Amino acid sequence: MSRKILEVDQLRTSFFTHLGEVQAIRGVSFCLNEGESIGIVGESGSGKSVTSLSIMRLLQHPGKVVGGEIRLHGENLLQYTPQQMRKVRGEKIAMIFQDPMTSMNPVYTIGNQIEEMILEHKNLTKQEARERAVEMLGMVGIPSPEQRLKNYPHEFSGGMRQRAMIAMALSCSPQILIADEPTTALDVTIQAQILRLIKKLNEEMNMSTILITHDLGVVADVCQRILVMYGGLIMEEGTRSQIFYHPRHPYTMGLLKSIPKASDQKQRLIPILGTPPDLLHPPAGCPFCSRCSFAMNICREKQPPYFKDADGHRVMCWLLSEEAPYVEAYEKQKGGVRA
Amino acid sequence: MSGQRLIEAVHLKKYFAKESGFLKKQTQYVKAVDDVSFYIDKKETLGLVGESGCGKSTTGRTLIRLYQPTEGSILYDGVDISHLSTTELMPYRKKMQMIFQDPYASLNARMTVADIIGEPLEIHNLMQGKEKAERIRELLETVGLRASHASRYPHEFSGGQRQRIGIARALAVNPEFIICDEPISALDVSIQAQVVNMLEDLQEQLGLTYLFIAHDLSMVRHISNRVGVMYLGSLVEIADRNELYNHPAHPYTQALLSSIPIADPELTKQKQSIVLEGDVPSPLNPPTGCKFRTRCRYAQQRCAEETPQLVEISPGHCGACHML
Repeated sequence: MSRKILEVDQLRTSFFTHLGEVQAIRGVSFCLNEGESIGIVGESGSGKSVTSLSIMRLLQHPGKVVGGEIRLHGENLLQYTPQQMRKVRGEKIAMIFQDPMTSMNPVYTIGNQIEEMILEHKNLTKQEARERAVEMLGMVGIPSPEQRLKNYPHEFSGGMRQRAMIAMALSCSPQILIADEPTTALDVTIQAQILRLIKKLNEEMNMSTILITHDLGVVADVCQRILVMYGGLIMEEGTRSQIFYHPRHPYTMGLLKSIPKASDQKQRLIPILGTPPDLLHPPAGCPFCSRCSFAMNICREKQPPYFKDADGHRVMCWLLSEEAPYVEAYEKQKGGVRA
Repeated sequence: MSGQRLIEAVHLKKYFAKESGFLKKQTQYVKAVDDVSFYIDKKETLGLVGESGCGKSTTGRTLIRLYQPTEGSILYDGVDISHLSTTELMPYRKKMQMIFQDPYASLNARMTVADIIGEPLEIHNLMQGKEKAERIRELLETVGLRASHASRYPHEFSGGQRQRIGIARALAVNPEFIICDEPISALDVSIQAQVVNMLEDLQEQLGLTYLFIAHDLSMVRHISNRVGVMYLGSLVEIADRNELYNHPAHPYTQALLSSIPIADPELTKQKQSIVLEGDVPSPLNPPTGCKFRTRCRYAQQRCAEETPQLVEISPGHCGACHML
């Protein structure tokens, strides 16, 4: 096992709205190893984006981290001053966002924006910064980068803008790249290009990546370890094959069953009934219990702890407790969801 | 499934004029739909896939005359509806309805659910008063909402519920043909399956015909009987769903299918992926000949000179490529 680079410990983030406290993240813990690529999947409102914004300390009012620790190389980022944090962003952790149009400044050229980032963090001259920017644009596969530096964001297509964002994020060689739905706004053929690029950079630069997405197909391709989030909590964590072939949490199973399989026969989809919980009034027990077909009494009353096995697979579900009754339908689904 | 033709597009074209230059003297055309022909049988679902800007939504909208076609004809039950006047078109409007992509933008925020669903009934002078209220209640139940929801406003509903309201509105006038324009793209994965199952049930119960437009290729495979692939305004391939997904003939279809992320790590490793280079060219200035040639692995001299026509390569399977 390689070295831990980032540890998130019992993180809690809330939004203090006029209606009351919305508990977007309710105690999330995970770690990221060096050179590893993890995926966070979940539906909208499950807290996956808020997790990444909390790590970057980019939450805006009324959002606030209310508890827990985020440790980068053992140092708690939550205690950093804004100046120290500025150094971390870009240099140690970089982030790319879903919408490459709104995350770039439309009145500066692409080159300007990449150079600004380099000059901020590195002790380089303008000339050197420009060379570095050309090199980065070339690396992410933008043809004739010297000319392209002089373009404005609107002169780039969606896929190229996302490449330019990646070039900007990587220009100071960060140790961690957080990609928040990097391909959601793009077409499938462009998505394939961007994912191949992220995968290549992850392997070649030994950079750790956190990929946040709602698309299970994307994590199946890119990530080694997967966290499934729901209702502000991590429901299940496991390696790629554990999550896809041996899911234990009813929510993960439900997600996998609700996407169509590539088969010649027309099979009926099995949806997860109901809607996600309202985090303004989070349920006392398991957040998934109102939609879970195996829900027991205890699920409504008490939030389940994590049940772990030796190889790092952890699941927040009472069904894995030793005292839980034997539920045949559940046992049957555990192994054979994809079969 | 082969039955009667319900709707047919014959050499359909839709160009949008873009004026530019001094005093707007230069006019360029965006060929959003460029010579597209296909048919849909009764009670069938035709899926239409392609990247953004390929003209799939414009095709759908032109088909039900939300846009006036530039050229070509639209046959509905054998009648050419491409040049009917607004009044003549009214009975056809009742037969053709649409479900839109964005459940947030497609419902008027100032109308109650009852008003939204009741509006088509009023426009077509179908029902009034008690009868209308009864129909609205019935429609709400059909799409899995409660009758008590009728007096609420759209903002009180979640995305999936709003899409159900949009579906209820489309069903209000008992249509035969519904265009589903990316009906599930804005919804969460677990909600998508709910809506797709409902669309399938409704098709079964009411004998509906669908044109299902989407960019999610695996969902299109799931719901469609036949699938058409569009690229830059042209239909490049059309076939039965299994035929298309198992034996894609056009290089673009092959690349498109290989770039779908599959939620199965083993299959992902096995499949050979064809990653296309570059972007879709601007529709203002599309390449000559075959429009796909700039990104095609097999492009030859001939592709730049001649525009390939849609030819039948096996029964029901047509492709537009010189290689075929």
